[in-house]
Amino acid sequence: MKLTLNWLKEFVDLRDAPEKLAETLTMAGLEVESLAPARAPDGSEDWIFELAVTPNRGDCLGVIGIAREIAALKAGRMKAPARKPAVQKANANAPVKVEIQSPRACQRYSAQAVESIRLRPSPDWLRFRLEAAGIRAINNVVDITNYVMVETAQPLHAFDLERLDAKRIVVRQAKEIATFVTLDEVERRLAPEDLLICDGDVPVALAGVMGGRDSEVHQGTTAVLLESARFDPATVRRTAKRLGLHSEASHRFERGVDPEGTVAALERAVALLQEIAGGNTFGGIIDRYPRPPAPAAIAVRHARVSEIVGVDIKPAEIEKNLKALGCKVQATKAALKVTPPTYRGDLTREADLIEELARVHGYDKIPSTLPRALLSGKPDARLRADRGVRSYLVGEGLVEAIHLPFTSADINRRFPGLLAGEKPVAILNPLVQESAEMRLSLVPGLIEDLKVNLAQRAEGFAAFALNKVFYLDTKDEPAERYHLAALLYGRRGRRGLRAEEAPFGFLDAKGLVEGILDGRGGEWSWNAADPPAFLHPGRAARLAAGRAELGYVGEIHPDLAEELSLGRCLTFELDFGKLLQYLSPELAVRSLPRFPSVERDLAMVVDDAFPAQRIIDWIKDLRNVLIEKVEVFDQYRGASIPEGKKSLAFSISYRAQDRTLTDTEVQTVHQELVARLGEVFGAQLRG
Amino acid sequence: MNESLERLKEEVAGRLSRSVSEAEVEQLRVEYLGRKGTVTGLLRGLKDVAPEERPQRGEELNRLRAFIEERIAGCLESLKAEKRSKALTEERVDITLPGSRRERGRVHPLTMVVDEIVDVFSAMGFEIARGPDIEDDYHNFEALNMPKDHPARDMQDTFFVAAERLLRTHTSPVQIHVMESRKPPLQIIVPGAVYRHDDDATHSPMFHQVEGFMVDRGIAFTDLKGVLTHVLRQIFSADARVRFRPSFFPFTEPSAEVDIGCVICDGKGALRDSHACRVCKGTGWLEILGSGMIDPEVFRFVGYDAEKFSGFAFGMGVERIAMLKYGVEDIRLFFQNDLRFLRQFPSF
Ligand SMILES: [Zn+2]
Repeated sequence: MKLTLNWLKEFVDLRDAPEKLAETLTMAGLEVESLAPARAPDGSEDWIFELAVTPNRGDCLGVIGIAREIAALKAGRMKAPARKPAVQKANANAPVKVEIQSPRACQRYSAQAVESIRLRPSPDWLRFRLEAAGIRAINNVVDITNYVMVETAQPLHAFDLERLDAKRIVVRQAKEIATFVTLDEVERRLAPEDLLICDGDVPVALAGVMGGRDSEVHQGTTAVLLESARFDPATVRRTAKRLGLHSEASHRFERGVDPEGTVAALERAVALLQEIAGGNTFGGIIDRYPRPPAPAAIAVRHARVSEIVGVDIKPAEIEKNLKALGCKVQATKAALKVTPPTYRGDLTREADLIEELARVHGYDKIPSTLPRALLSGKPDARLRADRGVRSYLVGEGLVEAIHLPFTSADINRRFPGLLAGEKPVAILNPLVQESAEMRLSLVPGLIEDLKVNLAQRAEGFAAFALNKVFYLDTKDEPAERYHLAALLYGRRGRRGLRAEEAPFGFLDAKGLVEGILDGRGGEWSWNAADPPAFLHPGRAARLAAGRAELGYVGEIHPDLAEELSLGRCLTFELDFGKLLQYLSPELAVRSLPRFPSVERDLAMVVDDAFPAQRIIDWIKDLRNVLIEKVEVFDQYRGASIPEGKKSLAFSISYRAQDRTLTDTEVQTVHQELVARLGEVFGAQLRG
Repeated sequence: MNESLERLKEEVAGRLSRSVSEAEVEQLRVEYLGRKGTVTGLLRGLKDVAPEERPQRGEELNRLRAFIEERIAGCLESLKAEKRSKALTEERVDITLPGSRRERGRVHPLTMVVDEIVDVFSAMGFEIARGPDIEDDYHNFEALNMPKDHPARDMQDTFFVAAERLLRTHTSPVQIHVMESRKPPLQIIVPGAVYRHDDDATHSPMFHQVEGFMVDRGIAFTDLKGVLTHVLRQIFSADARVRFRPSFFPFTEPSAEVDIGCVICDGKGALRDSHACRVCKGTGWLEILGSGMIDPEVFRFVGYDAEKFSGFAFGMGVERIAMLKYGVEDIRLFFQNDLRFLRQFPSF
């Protein structure tokens, strides 16, 4: 809402300079967004105020409403209302009949015919104020309707009277009328519940939203019918929103106009038409007001005001301030009976009036207190886990990334997340088509980051994301999961003198996941079968706990990497929410062994595809109490090893709980193990 | 001591003092004290000395041997010390060279800000609650006193995923979820992502909020002021100026917008070069959070007795706070994950 200071001064004697007034308004909830000096066409000094009016204050979408607010805040005094033009009530000669068929959607409809108008540009002072208010000047008739709207917050519409053939205004729902051509010459499709102003059977305006092409004021107009109505806010809003026709008028109707203000606005417009456009009224004001609302009194309890605000606002102040806001106040024993003015449709409950009282009292005059402590806070397990895993990955050199969750259908097809076949959540009104779905996986976001950083000549890239992914569950309902994903590319970053780091490989990615699981108990298994299609089939694994799929780790498929113009990228993605459920909540520390262990190594030459874990699992399955630990520590292919084979080296740690093992004892057990491994796996062994 | 032994003693002392290496000293030890050494030879010749002279001669030779041994030990020690001190000089490193390490990662700056806010509230006994990003119309709007066709919905342009399903436009629906399942007293904060159909340098279609609320018997607007003033002074600075001004949110009444004195121009509205401060648009104040006393209508939706309980709620934008704290001018930087940006923040 924009207006000029001099316009305001027509209604209120101001106490303060413009800057001080702006401060007062801002601190009362009418935020002044800008204040700029201006010069009126007559050379006088003026100021342009821009106010942010909250949706509950439709009354402040007019100069008079703001003047009233200033008076209520004691920053000025309302002036006596100016001259009243002599307007007669409607008589038998009224040139137009008005009928409201939808009284719920149109509470009041007032109209006035004005003839002998000379259509021409408006005078400079009017154009200046209108343009200061952000409205383009068009011609004196249209400008006057807009001027009165900005002044009174009551939108007006002018029909060319001669183009209303039936001379019978009918306010009704569109129902069977399917289309209507608005004054911007666009044919609009109507919904049955849209409210129309019709001339007989012919629609001439979309009530409160936009007039029609065929009844618009035009070059040859000499007589108009001025409309000043109170339309139902929700009805106007639905139509305006559906058709994308937001206007100064619909904006005000949506916020509710004063049902008691329609006639005053008409009178003001008539006075201006007489003054500026040479118009003459004929037929008096037509006013249909089927069911004037009975103002309901609201009980305001002094004790309740103090309870909510926290300070004792004295009954006398309550009464005085409510009256200053235009309320009628009647004191009873239990409470004040308060009837708000008709232009404050937002005040319907005690809570609304308490807010008004706090506001007028001044928030800055209300002290600060600290509430009595509630000692019921609990630490948050998820927060601890999030912080823990972040700090681990940061220590490992990974940077945390945060992404918008939107992606394209194509990306979701390529990166379907942990469980193939899950359906993505689609956005009905995306900003752009490339972001029409919610991500199924965090990995594409990280790949985007990698590209951004490669374009900036980053040499290596290691990043992670801890965030939600979205999918449709088995009942096609949108659902969410909390994922952790990482992407590794190139070499690990180093600081200091130049030194070679090996490029990231599969084991680096797997190692990061193992680091998360380390010391957490739980039974995890890695499985090479059925890797996700976007991963290298030979360099990918799934992580599971029993039957529960927890995630995957692997190298991005070379075809896909090539398509994205990237080299080798390693990634992992975990269902972090689920993983947390499988982490043992309790830690039990074993006492340290009392007797030393003895280490023996063994190396086996096996087929290239033979998984090392099979040997470890087989040895563990022996459940030999002397075997404490088995680890693979080397894998070798090369000169001394035949084609298609590899050598795996294991270290086995032997220990007894009750004695120090002798060399011979260990030697016997170890030789037997080596011999059995040879039999079972047919491998060449060196023990 | 006879003259020849005296000469021998001087000769040894002289040669030892001129020797420059352990090997040279070792050589001298062999020459004088070794199996065929001079002193050893003299000792061996004792048997040929007249018996009455033998004790004295023996004692003299033993003293000579002890003297030589002592000198050799001393000589070796000083040579070793000299060598160590030379080595210490030679092994000196250039401490101005950079330390050698793997590059550490970074926590995202938005995470840092959320963590900081969460810690402030945790210290006051607030608990964390979370909710879905994909909400229904009821929790996001209806139960927050924003019925369909309410103009307040204009303030929150919405992404829809189905007729009644949407990406939450604020974290406030979590208020409803919590109050539906729990009874007061409650003091809760809700960090999370929210979505608006908007995209430019100051608006991102996704951003983050921290919502909070407190409900109990006898909670008043003065408490809202007290708690939020305390929190903002923790987040910004202990002497931050805080102001509350009336505003409108459908789910609070009274509602308040909370401003802090501009951190860029120090609340003056103008910079040192007397140009108006762009960040606060010359007002000296920055809008930092929205708040208010929870509307009785919201309590009605969750089945609380508004005559018995009262409470306040608030919400703050994480990106906005991060932008102000770190002087970031374009919100989109937070989501481009450019390492040149992220690495400007400390690693813990
Ligand atoms: Zn500033």
